[in-house]
Amino acid sequence: MANLKDIRDRIKSVKSIQKVTKAMKMVAAAKMRRAQERMEHSRPYSNSLTEVIHHLLPDVDRNSLPLLDVREIKRKAYVIVSADRGLAGALNTNLLKVAQKEIDEFGKENVDLFCIGKKARDHFKRREYNIITSHVDFWADMEFDSAMKIGRSIIEHFTSGKVDEIHVVFNYFINVGKQEVKSEILLPLIFEAEDNVAHDRLYEPSKEELVSSLIPRHLNVQMWKYLLESYASEQAARMLAMENATTNAEDMIKDLTLQFNKARQAAITTEMLEIVGGAEALG
Amino acid sequence: MNNFNLEIVTPIRELDEEKVSYIRCPGLDGSFGIMANHREGVFALSVGEIKILKNGKEEYWATGGGFAEIMKDKVKLLVESIETSSEIDSARAEKSLERATQRKSEHNNLDEERIEASLMRAINRLSVSRR
Repeated sequence: MANLKDIRDRIKSVKSIQKVTKAMKMVAAAKMRRAQERMEHSRPYSNSLTEVIHHLLPDVDRNSLPLLDVREIKRKAYVIVSADRGLAGALNTNLLKVAQKEIDEFGKENVDLFCIGKKARDHFKRREYNIITSHVDFWADMEFDSAMKIGRSIIEHFTSGKVDEIHVVFNYFINVGKQEVKSEILLPLIFEAEDNVAHDRLYEPSKEELVSSLIPRHLNVQMWKYLLESYASEQAARMLAMENATTNAEDMIKDLTLQFNKARQAAITTEMLEIVGGAEALG
Repeated sequence: MNNFNLEIVTPIRELDEEKVSYIRCPGLDGSFGIMANHREGVFALSVGEIKILKNGKEEYWATGGGFAEIMKDKVKLLVESIETSSEIDSARAEKSLERATQRKSEHNNLDEERIEASLMRAINRLSVSRR
């Protein structure tokens, strides 16, 4: 049986780990709530924008817009949205697994990568994939501008004809307990055309010009959404992981305390026996 | 003057719908005004100042550009950023103006369009904040 001091020390160290995991859980919960709020705030804008685009599209010649241009796919780009930090359960591992599988299926020499978050960057850098740019260390003060900045370089990559399709792999936030890895096509944009508009409307400048300036804005919002979904997922996963860690620590403390008490009892019993034995020998 | 509903939507917030009587927006080729019963349509907005007349009082907002969708009984402004004159942190705007001016003078070809745009935004925010 381990000696008393060892057990006491272990209990102490488990307790301090528990303190850390508890704190991390609370921080993650607060951050997640904020990200959720932001997601809700961005929805009306994105919906209205999509609606306007839908109204305009039937009257516009798609071929004139480079962002709607469907080409034969020779080269793809993948945008991989991971977290900067671990300790979030299997979140990053799952995401990277899905992403890598998809990329390998197409052939890694024909894929350009945009890595968002340190985890994705480190993972693919180590395996020598073709990374164009990576964006890290911006999550803490993430603003809409960050989404625009990231989006711009990705869109340019498509419009300049370097790739024919852009995929985004990210964690989709279903609820606090559930996140799902999703892979979506960002470009070329595919809209299901809709036609239920009041035709007697005024457009300024022309419809073509309107659409061509609406679409980049739509992509900005899309990018913003991917970032928010991923961020919320990361925090939710971390919250859950830390919750589990805290419970495990609790169980461990219980076990150790039991062990400690048993050891203590055993020590007392031995001592008593010694005293009684000593007294008997004297008498 | 007749009132109509104004809804302002941005990616980070949605402002409460309000009754206003007049809006002046920065269009691509000059400002235009909207009053009640305007013809329906969609208009692109550039960086500039939005003036709103509400209950006879004037309000000024700075916007980073976007769209105005005019519907039968309401106007929806879809803009990437919007701030009232009192919200603007003029010290920050001043700083970004400085930065943009400096970048412009450096001429390092770093995407002139972008520098020009941030310059415009900074100037606009400053001028609205002085309202």
